[in-house]
Amino acid sequence: MKKYLLLLLACVTVILAACSGSEEGAGEESVYRTIYSGEITTLNYLKTSNTNEFAVAANLVDGLIEYDKYGIVQPGLATSWESNDDASVWTFKLREGVKWVDHEGKEVANVTAKDFVDGLNYVLDAKNESSTAWIATVVKNGNAFYEGEITDFSQVGVKATDEYTVEYTLEGPTPYFLSMLNYVCFFPVYGEFLAEKGESFGTTKENFLYNGSYVLSEFEPQNRRVLTKNATYWDKDNVLIDKIEYKYNKEAATVAPELFVRGEIDAAAIPTAILDDWFNDPEKKNLVRQSSNSFYTYFYALNFNPQFDAEYEPENWQVVVNNKNFRKSLFHGLDRVSAMMTVEPYNPETLLSNTITPKNFVDVDGVDYTQLDALAKFSNTDSFDAKLAVEFKEKAMAELAGKATFPVKVLMPYNSGSPDWANRSQVIEQQMENLLGKDYIDIIVYAGPSTGFLGEVRRPGKYAFMEVNWGPDFADPSTYTDPFTIGGSYNKPELAEGYTDSNGQPKYENLANTAKAAIDPAERYPLFAQAEAFLIEEAFVVPYAVGGSGYLASKLNPFEAQYSPFGVTMEKFKGQKLLEKPMSNDEFKEAKAQWEKARAEALAEAGN
Amino acid sequence: MGLYSEEIRNITDKSSEQLFEFASSDESKAEQSGYSNYSYWRSTWKSFLKNKLAVFLLILVIGIVFFVLIQPYLPYQKSPTEIYLDEETGYQVRNLSPNDEFWFGTNSIGQDLWSRIWAGTRTSLLIGVVVAFVEVIVGITIGALWGYSRRLETPISHAYNVIENIPTTIVLILMSLILRPSISTIIIAMCITGWVEMARFLRNQIVILRDREYNLASRTLGTPSHRIILKNLLPYLVSIIMLRMSLAIPFAIGAEVFLTYIGLGLPISEPSLGNLINEGRVLMMSPDLRYQLIFPSVVLSIITISFYIIGNSFADAADPKNHV
Amino acid sequence: MLGYIGKRLLQSVVTLLVIITIVFLLLRLLPEEGYLGAAADKMSPEQQEVYLTSLGLRDPILVQLGNFYSDLVRGDFGKSITYRTDVPVLDIIADKIMYSLSFGLAAVALSILVGVPLGILMAQMKGRWLDRLGTGYIVFIVAVPSMVYFLLIQVYITDIFKLPMLFDQDKPISWLLPLISLALGPIASYAMWMRRYMVDELNKDYIKLARAKGVKERTLMFSHVMRNAFIPLAQYLPATILFTITGSIYIESLYSIPGMGGLLVDAIQRQDNAVVQGLVLIFSSLGIIGLFLGDIAMALVDPRIKLGRGESVR
Repeated sequence: MKKYLLLLLACVTVILAACSGSEEGAGEESVYRTIYSGEITTLNYLKTSNTNEFAVAANLVDGLIEYDKYGIVQPGLATSWESNDDASVWTFKLREGVKWVDHEGKEVANVTAKDFVDGLNYVLDAKNESSTAWIATVVKNGNAFYEGEITDFSQVGVKATDEYTVEYTLEGPTPYFLSMLNYVCFFPVYGEFLAEKGESFGTTKENFLYNGSYVLSEFEPQNRRVLTKNATYWDKDNVLIDKIEYKYNKEAATVAPELFVRGEIDAAAIPTAILDDWFNDPEKKNLVRQSSNSFYTYFYALNFNPQFDAEYEPENWQVVVNNKNFRKSLFHGLDRVSAMMTVEPYNPETLLSNTITPKNFVDVDGVDYTQLDALAKFSNTDSFDAKLAVEFKEKAMAELAGKATFPVKVLMPYNSGSPDWANRSQVIEQQMENLLGKDYIDIIVYAGPSTGFLGEVRRPGKYAFMEVNWGPDFADPSTYTDPFTIGGSYNKPELAEGYTDSNGQPKYENLANTAKAAIDPAERYPLFAQAEAFLIEEAFVVPYAVGGSGYLASKLNPFEAQYSPFGVTMEKFKGQKLLEKPMSNDEFKEAKAQWEKARAEALAEAGN
Repeated sequence: MGLYSEEIRNITDKSSEQLFEFASSDESKAEQSGYSNYSYWRSTWKSFLKNKLAVFLLILVIGIVFFVLIQPYLPYQKSPTEIYLDEETGYQVRNLSPNDEFWFGTNSIGQDLWSRIWAGTRTSLLIGVVVAFVEVIVGITIGALWGYSRRLETPISHAYNVIENIPTTIVLILMSLILRPSISTIIIAMCITGWVEMARFLRNQIVILRDREYNLASRTLGTPSHRIILKNLLPYLVSIIMLRMSLAIPFAIGAEVFLTYIGLGLPISEPSLGNLINEGRVLMMSPDLRYQLIFPSVVLSIITISFYIIGNSFADAADPKNHV
Repeated sequence: MLGYIGKRLLQSVVTLLVIITIVFLLLRLLPEEGYLGAAADKMSPEQQEVYLTSLGLRDPILVQLGNFYSDLVRGDFGKSITYRTDVPVLDIIADKIMYSLSFGLAAVALSILVGVPLGILMAQMKGRWLDRLGTGYIVFIVAVPSMVYFLLIQVYITDIFKLPMLFDQDKPISWLLPLISLALGPIASYAMWMRRYMVDELNKDYIKLARAKGVKERTLMFSHVMRNAFIPLAQYLPATILFTITGSIYIESLYSIPGMGGLLVDAIQRQDNAVVQGLVLIFSSLGIIGLFLGDIAMALVDPRIKLGRGESVR
């Protein structure tokens, strides 16, 4: 036993010595270390639609454009661009002298216009099983090519007019096309290399070419990966972190906070469950801060097409959901703060959203979309109002007497794979039943399967009132209308009774179509705001929250990063530097306020 | 010489008259010696009672089961699913340390941990008992047939190899799609795959016993197979079966904990020891909240240890060799 | 003997075929949503159809099955779709197997080296402090949920001895703790089993006779008691060793060991059919081989046992 202890001691000493040694040597190199629990499945950015995988690709490959830290478009691989009048043909001039390099940084080829054509060709070829092809179908004949109706790719609207000019012809006017370019399906690929590697493209660090700010010097799935600064990068002065080391750990949620405290990593998510402990500890409380919100939007949908089992009385729900006062009573009766307390007990309000389109998404000359006339009144008030809710309840009960049976069974499923959602559902059940009365509604919390939840529950309409979410695809409010237009698989507002216009179309459909026809943002965005306001005013949905990654301990400053609601932009490390110590939550709030102010100014300026 | 012969003569004199008497035979006494008051179960019970620790744990387990059943009807009990609100703020009383009102504190959304733990124990015990029961019934039946019948041996062996190798995860995911995640889904899924181990175990024991001389004799005398299995083989195995049965309950509870860990357990709106422990796991790093992990772990440990020790000492007691 | 091996080999192949066919069909029952992933909401129904067709999921089930078999016969296990896209299944497994295998073998060795002697000592000191201590340890391991004490060991032991918390192949010291954690359970079961066996065996008549005849205690131990004890050990050991490659889901997760633990569960949850299929095939082959080797090992150790009378499963 003694021998073992001695051996152990010897080893420990050696390691300690090794550690201190390496620290001295690495004084100048800036290294960011973190652990992650979701492994990427591929490096093939032309194939994936998974955020984790974008996040890696975003730092390895550059697209045509970039954003600055306020979300204003900047030249990327394209130095300049122009579009025709109705924004359906776009031409980009490429930066010359940008190189494709391999994982050791050796130059392989120049980045040329053909690389963008080859990339799109790969994505739109159905046999490559790209899961981002649907977004590339904005390009003329893209969908026809994907579905095999045409087989000649030269008929698809993308052309290399010369070595450094690429031209996109789109299906129709698309003023927001620039924002789509930050999606991986529009990224370039070196065609010869792709053809040579075939299916193995993107499976290892060797089977990949880099033109972005980093190259992948280590890639061992389920173990680690290391990103090293690309020495030949065209904008290398703005790449401030020299090395990014990822270590895989499936239990990251459990061990990351401890690793952070011990200084073995530079960023860790702090789960809500242990937040109290961190905030009460004088040493730890300055290490932890909120994170930036995402653009995923969460709302409660009232289903107009109930298809659930007879035991939950779908016919009865069908009757009550078509009563505006009933809907309004739910709308005003949902206490969103108490629901949010289950995941964000300290600043629940920061995650709430009063609209479907989140704040800071798009703007008209510096005025945020959610502050446009039609939406402002919702954005600036909390939908929860106990008194109003009870008033609407009384009205609904009077109107529905004899037509519907009370209490109304409200089937509210959740994904049993998500403990947070389960907790939230229980809180909401109790809160709404207590407020509105158990004689009025009987909320039935129902555990759905953890695999294939949406396909089993939401799409077939097996719910009455459920939390659903939606993420944007491009920088235009029309991206948030998809769930509600005809053909959407959400709550089917087209089936609502009494909302058909004279042309036989549902009212919302008409509103959305009118908005889509307008091209100038100053005219277009207010129209979309009206359509969205209609959904909220009529209480077809109850806006709830935006996504956020909870609390972090991190040595990065999120306000230095490139900012854009859409695509891979926010995953880039370019522009960020490693802080001496993590931001505290107060510093974070302050920086955020400053950033929002500076952003409004920058946007107003860019608009002019 | 004379002295001795004198003696001997005297002995023969005595022997002929006083030393021996003819005994009359007593029918009733003869019967008494042929009868033994040995009862297998009584002896088993007697020798089980000798193990004080096991007896104590048995009482403890019965106590827990009884308590778990009546707990909701006791005074001052809270609902395991109700979320308690702070009267001042109107929001949930989150992560409250144990106090007068919440004896084991509250969890992250303000539910009473005391009642959740007992509700969870109830659920887990239910799962454990039902699964163990089904496992034992099905396992014994199939195991006995498998081990005894030479005709069924090959098909059952193949079926075993097949079932043994189909991942439980697939079965569980499919089950939860068809039946939605719930207690019955978990029970059914665990039963579908659980009995094979028991069957294999029993089969191996029977293979060892089936060709022993006394069974051979039995067969030669024309005893039907079912009688050999029921009367000759199974009684011999009672002790091992009892051991397996008592271990099946904690195993089933353990399996439930593991299923929760890989995300296929019960939804947390239905408390069970599995999801209470899984929920508490992340709190390990946080000394103030650790109680949320410790309480359910302790309950689980007590139940497991109890069944384990009771099972072992009952198996010892059920072995007739220890009855003398 | 050869005939026996041949017959069992043939039976095994049939069993394997049945297993993979059932697993294949079960996988086809999983929801199609799993293949679409996050893009499911964004694709139009037509695009979803095109996508699923390109994955080959729209072919009649018999055609899919036929393709699967013919690939398999050519030794092609297929490529992963959702786990590591386009990487051959065998490469994925090959990358991981060495980690799990080396940890697993080391843990088996450690648990036999510690567990068996511990059990023997406990039996010899029955009722004394070592026995009580050992029993306490065994009861603890059996009773406390392993996910609780593994985490405690990781956090506190690394803190006390200033060890790295995560596995790092370049730092041998970081292998120590996962290895010990991995062996804790098996040590307990070997010790428990050995103790029980010894206690039973030492009470047997032949031991009493041997003692009475004056056989030395050591000879008694090694050439009688131990030899008998190793028969069941020999039977189970091959399977135990082969199955170390499946890895330990929880320990590998905690310490960032890139091994096999959890691979099967992951692959099923991501509906990566080729990977599931490959793993099931490998695991069930190992299971069958393990049983077979066990029987042979047992026959070698114990001359009383004769193979070939249909007592294949034990």
